[in-house]
Amino acid sequence: MMHYEHFILDNGLRVYVHEDHTTPMAAVNILYNVGSRDEEEHRTGFAHLFEHLMFGGSQNIPAYDEPLQKVGGENNAFTSPDLTNYYITLPAVNLETAFWLESDRMMALSFDPNVLDVQRKVVVEEFKQRYLSQPYGDVWLKLRPLAYQAHPYRWAPIGKEISHIENAILDDVRAFFYKFYIPNNAILVVAGHVTVEQVKALCAKWFAPIPAGQAYVRQLPIEPTQTVARFSETTAPVPLDALYKAWHTPARYDADFQPIELLSDVLGRGKSSRLYQKLVKEERIFNNLNAYMTSSLDPGLFVIQGNVNPGVALEDADAALGQLVADLVQNGTDEPELSKVKNQAEATLVFSEIELLNRAMNLAFAANAGDAELVNQESDKIQAVTTDDVRRVAQNILRPEKCSTLYYRAG
Amino acid sequence: MFDRSQAPQFQTIQHVTIPAIQAYTLDNGLPLRVVNAGEQPVLRLELIFPAGGWYETSPGAAYFGIRMLGEGTRTRTAAQISEAFDQYGAFPEFSPGNDRANLTTYCLARHLPTLLPVIQDILHESVFPEKELETLKSISLQTLKVNLEKTAYVASQHLREGLFGADHPYGRNQSEALIASISQQTVREFYDRRIAGKPFTLFLSGRVSEHEVALLNQAFGQEKVSDSSAETSPKHSVKNRKPTGITIERPDSLQSSIRLGKRLFTRRHPDYFKFMVLNEVFGGYFGSRLMKNIREEKGFTYGISSNLTSMAHEGYFVLGTDVKKENTAQTLEEIAKEIARLQTEPVPADELETVQNYMIGSFVGALNTPFEIADRQKTVYFDDLPANFYQTYVEHIRAVTSDDVRDMARQYLDVASMQEVVVGGK
Repeated sequence: MMHYEHFILDNGLRVYVHEDHTTPMAAVNILYNVGSRDEEEHRTGFAHLFEHLMFGGSQNIPAYDEPLQKVGGENNAFTSPDLTNYYITLPAVNLETAFWLESDRMMALSFDPNVLDVQRKVVVEEFKQRYLSQPYGDVWLKLRPLAYQAHPYRWAPIGKEISHIENAILDDVRAFFYKFYIPNNAILVVAGHVTVEQVKALCAKWFAPIPAGQAYVRQLPIEPTQTVARFSETTAPVPLDALYKAWHTPARYDADFQPIELLSDVLGRGKSSRLYQKLVKEERIFNNLNAYMTSSLDPGLFVIQGNVNPGVALEDADAALGQLVADLVQNGTDEPELSKVKNQAEATLVFSEIELLNRAMNLAFAANAGDAELVNQESDKIQAVTTDDVRRVAQNILRPEKCSTLYYRAG
Repeated sequence: MFDRSQAPQFQTIQHVTIPAIQAYTLDNGLPLRVVNAGEQPVLRLELIFPAGGWYETSPGAAYFGIRMLGEGTRTRTAAQISEAFDQYGAFPEFSPGNDRANLTTYCLARHLPTLLPVIQDILHESVFPEKELETLKSISLQTLKVNLEKTAYVASQHLREGLFGADHPYGRNQSEALIASISQQTVREFYDRRIAGKPFTLFLSGRVSEHEVALLNQAFGQEKVSDSSAETSPKHSVKNRKPTGITIERPDSLQSSIRLGKRLFTRRHPDYFKFMVLNEVFGGYFGSRLMKNIREEKGFTYGISSNLTSMAHEGYFVLGTDVKKENTAQTLEEIAKEIARLQTEPVPADELETVQNYMIGSFVGALNTPFEIADRQKTVYFDDLPANFYQTYVEHIRAVTSDDVRDMARQYLDVASMQEVVVGGK
């Protein structure tokens, strides 16, 4: 169980404090409720580019990183389809430095054209390094638009294409900032060797003077129910053929999330899982095979992906996988197998709470989803899942007509 | 209103306290080290053998010998072993390294007693079934093929081979021929010679009580282990190698992977801390000279970094980046310029202070979990460092001066002394 306290500033900033006095450190996590799903179709990759710009100096502080490094702090950030998250760990005695830096860049950025110019180039190189230069690196650039036709999940956080990043201008940056980087669109979590009173005082000093902005009301297109199986194929200079299959699932905080998660564990988690035992080891059709969920805040995907061994046709690998999935849909799981995946899920949960920063992030994600207490309900929800639940969700989710299949051919 | 351009007051860390390690000796003489820390009821048990690539007599024997643990014993199939761990949400890792092999188990503390018999079984009764070995070889081969498509992987391979030579354990790389050459005989021989009935060190970290210590003594402290003094450590020397420049053309790649490196020294060297500060200034962190120049000013790359890798017998310096292909030559020039600057101009006091504070802060920040603490203690133990090596980290880092940094750059960072690898194109 994670204990925490909560308060809201007049400007709408939601603050959570998790005290842990066994460490000399503090973690400060700021989550902005904006991700690549909030982008416009012809300006994709912008939320992530913007994340880079957040390190390029703010109104009163020319550079973000150096003053933090000077007090012994570290930081980083990431952008997902759903949100943008910034985090710091630093010696707790220097907590105020984090408040100074984070409040100043929430107040206003420097909007320096040179920063935009350089970070555009850096992000283009990131695009190449992570998505174009790695074998199979571009698969999500192809799979997303296949699985999604209406919802903005159809593009990846890095963006649809490099030109979108290259074309970003300073006016876009300014508009984006004042639309999304406002206190009433953010969640602050402070964890570690800190007290609630101390955090309240620091919030009053540094964050309270920032004016609230116009509340962002998210109105995204709803992905229509898929009724016909979709298929696509691509060829690239990779060593092995690869198979990707994606089925639509409910959102991360839907009541069926845990049964579906356990379903994916039955299929793909660990060496004793069905996919590994049957298709990697016994039949040696695949070189590797994974099952996982995208766990997104809007309805997500259940993905099975694997590299196919040389000499095996993709079509045959697909059929063998289909058979295994059909068997699970028809016959479900049994108590020992369910108990195994529950134990795995429980262990993962406990291990995820070891790191202070992880705890801070978990709390921020739950709060952003609408209820911080969700962070403490995960374990009970996992334990409550029955074999009937798993079978029911398998029948609902893993339907051929709701599946998108991508053949990634070696050529 | 207060002035937001003014940084708040801050404190520097003057001293660090690392939770103590408890030393035990099992009944049969095996050393057990315990780090009891953390709030969560978790454990990490590591059985650490002197059984890395350094000790193999045929290439790949250590890697495949260790990776094959867990693939079958006299009484358990590979599937049953996987099931035995997965059933309790435990995860095993069989990690072959350059110097040592680690058999690691992560688990909830309450499951330790159930898991120990399986681990014992693996230690004493592994059988290396032919079919499982073939599967592992096939998986390794395909994984290698994927990796060889990555310019960064190929560049790192060539750098190590260039530094140590293809026949040295630190310079040897996986290849299709090496994987094909592995037989049941190879792995069996390695297991008999280095694992089964051989001495090892136990590290247990997490929420540990005397109960777990007793369990380990029962499980691993009763069987006789062979006398370790009978085993002499093999010698591998690095032939004097001249630094060269290698360029591997990849016409289709959008970027070049650059690696620069040279053999240097290990943590035991008197210049270790001074060099680490130089490395940090040069390419060790996000605010380093290289990051500022190549990423933040020029936008040639997503990242560039350098570090000193310290192994049991050797250490080496390496600098790496993936850059826009058209900027490859210019990046190499800029790297040389940054080195020259470090060799001629003293690092400004303000920059040095930032680097020192940052290093100390991230050091303390990486002592948060029982596993991180155990990792530090393992380094002290296996590298045979003074017991206070990390307790005095803060003092050592603070003692480094601008002159030291310049001297280190002059002594160790000559561009001409470095092996250069470019995969992509210049």
